[in-house]
Amino acid sequence: MFTLPETRFDFGGDEYIYAEISRDMSAESNFKALAIVNELRERNIPGIVDIVPSNASYLVRYNPEILSPRDLLDYLKEIDITKSDPAELNLSIRMVEIPTWYDDPVSRQYSERFKNRHQEPTLSNFEFAMKANGFTDKEAFIEAHSRMPNLITMVGFLPGTAWGFPLGLEPGEIIQTPKYLSPRTHTPRQGVGIGGAFTVVYPVNGTGSYQLIGMSAVPVYDADKRLIDLEDTYFLARPGDLWKHRPIDEREYNQIVAEVEQGTYRYHMKQIDFSPQEYVIKGKAYIQELMEGF
Amino acid sequence: MLRIREGGLWTTVQDTGRQGYYHLGLPPSGAADKYSFIIGNLLLGNPVEYAGLEMTLLGPVIEFGKKTIIALTGAPVQAFLNNRLLPMWEAVAVDEGDVLSFRFCKKGVKSYLCVSGGIQVPEVLGSRSTYVLSRLGGYEGRKLVVGDELMIGEPLPGAFKQIGKHVPVEFIPAWDDAKDLRVVMGVSGNRISDEGIKTFLDSEWIVSAESDRVAYRYMGSSISFEEHAPPFGAGSSSSNVVDFAYPIGALMVPNEGEVIVLLNDATSGGGFVTIGTVISTDLDLIAQSRPMSRCRFLTITVDQAMQARMERKKQLIRLDETLKEQG
Repeated sequence: MFTLPETRFDFGGDEYIYAEISRDMSAESNFKALAIVNELRERNIPGIVDIVPSNASYLVRYNPEILSPRDLLDYLKEIDITKSDPAELNLSIRMVEIPTWYDDPVSRQYSERFKNRHQEPTLSNFEFAMKANGFTDKEAFIEAHSRMPNLITMVGFLPGTAWGFPLGLEPGEIIQTPKYLSPRTHTPRQGVGIGGAFTVVYPVNGTGSYQLIGMSAVPVYDADKRLIDLEDTYFLARPGDLWKHRPIDEREYNQIVAEVEQGTYRYHMKQIDFSPQEYVIKGKAYIQELMEGF
Repeated sequence: MLRIREGGLWTTVQDTGRQGYYHLGLPPSGAADKYSFIIGNLLLGNPVEYAGLEMTLLGPVIEFGKKTIIALTGAPVQAFLNNRLLPMWEAVAVDEGDVLSFRFCKKGVKSYLCVSGGIQVPEVLGSRSTYVLSRLGGYEGRKLVVGDELMIGEPLPGAFKQIGKHVPVEFIPAWDDAKDLRVVMGVSGNRISDEGIKTFLDSEWIVSAESDRVAYRYMGSSISFEEHAPPFGAGSSSSNVVDFAYPIGALMVPNEGEVIVLLNDATSGGGFVTIGTVISTDLDLIAQSRPMSRCRFLTITVDQAMQARMERKKQLIRLDETLKEQG
């Protein structure tokens, strides 16, 4: 059930080893990345500086003056073969709602501002994403993007950014878009973007190459720690969590933004024991079960 | 205390970087040209990781609140202590009330000011480095502006014996306009054609004006991609791969006409194909290269990369010994 081809390893300069579990994206590859990273962290190897799980791969940063690159490579290969069973992964996670104003004026304004870096400069990013996925009806597109939750398969880019990959959909049902031809130099904070099969919420103003299709009313990074739910951390995202976008209109967007500013907003979320094994067996039905009453 | 009378163009507090938080998307930050920065601390007898100021093109105007020892390294720049020209690559005494000012640097990009005892901003996640994009670390998470007041450590015991110690010319970097940057090929490079790899290595690349501590962009040639279908989940442009965590130094190729190298304030991951990774020692050269300057990328093995790294390390040890013998 978790049959994955052999991982491909590569050196990244003198301080990194990159391990590609698969070239294609799948939830299974991500579960394997999490399993290996958990194992590696537990072993607490001196000389390993950073262990970064990503969508279908992982990256290890090490100090080559403590740990020889080739010895570490052999060591990682062994873990990859013998200790990467995602069936043993049981995750205590949260399902979190991301209220999203789709096709909003800010996204349109950024589409216009950076159109010279875009493959279809005459379309807004939202229109481009619709077209790339064969939609002509705006509401149908929003429904297709928001109906199932996204598994947080990777965090990073800028602190607080989380990649969300939809669960419970057939590959053909997953919305996908190419990235910008050349990255934007600016992206609005809390902009919702799609690139490949992934959806992100940009945590701060920065660069970005995903197609901007809306705005999240809630922050995913809180430098000032105003919100009770982010009291212990700057970041909303945790790998393995499920994020569910809920389409909202301008009025509700403004109302939630005001609550966030006052520090009274509480994220709509629930705690879940998530079994990757059960998801792989039952698929969509399992996700629907988890979503009940949410 | 350092009183900032003018902020300069882009001045931040940096040390040798923040380790262990890359999995949260938090890049290492730290001095962009580590070699010059470390020498600044060696001149003062400071531990090498002590925080100093990184100044970009035009330095700040600083008034010293106490008598101490400073060292100026990195990109060559005319600096004045009160009205006297300040020597670079040398430990110099300053008095309370002295004012340090700068002219625009004409070669390189980043100059460093180290102070005996280091700059005492609070540590955030184990480092004093500034990461501006997330407003973390350094002085309030931002570049310095007029009116800022930075605490500095007490001059270390024996600090005043360092006065006059200087770096022999053989240890000072050359500020050439054209750089050779060494690359270990690989990572997610499989979508680039053999022809594209050849063009990448044979071409001269020009630094674009859109370059900073996050990344440097290069133009000037055209890299062709393989024609095969993109992997599921990557996005359909020829440069698109399933998003992954980028090494610092990764060479992204987002389109045929542009390569981007990620530096210390890197965005930690993304979905563009990478052709290889610039080795850690050569990131210093990138950070010191100016818009419109030229470079070539040379391919080396990971063993050669280790050799380059050890040579750099030995050079710094040799310099440290030389400085200890002086005075």
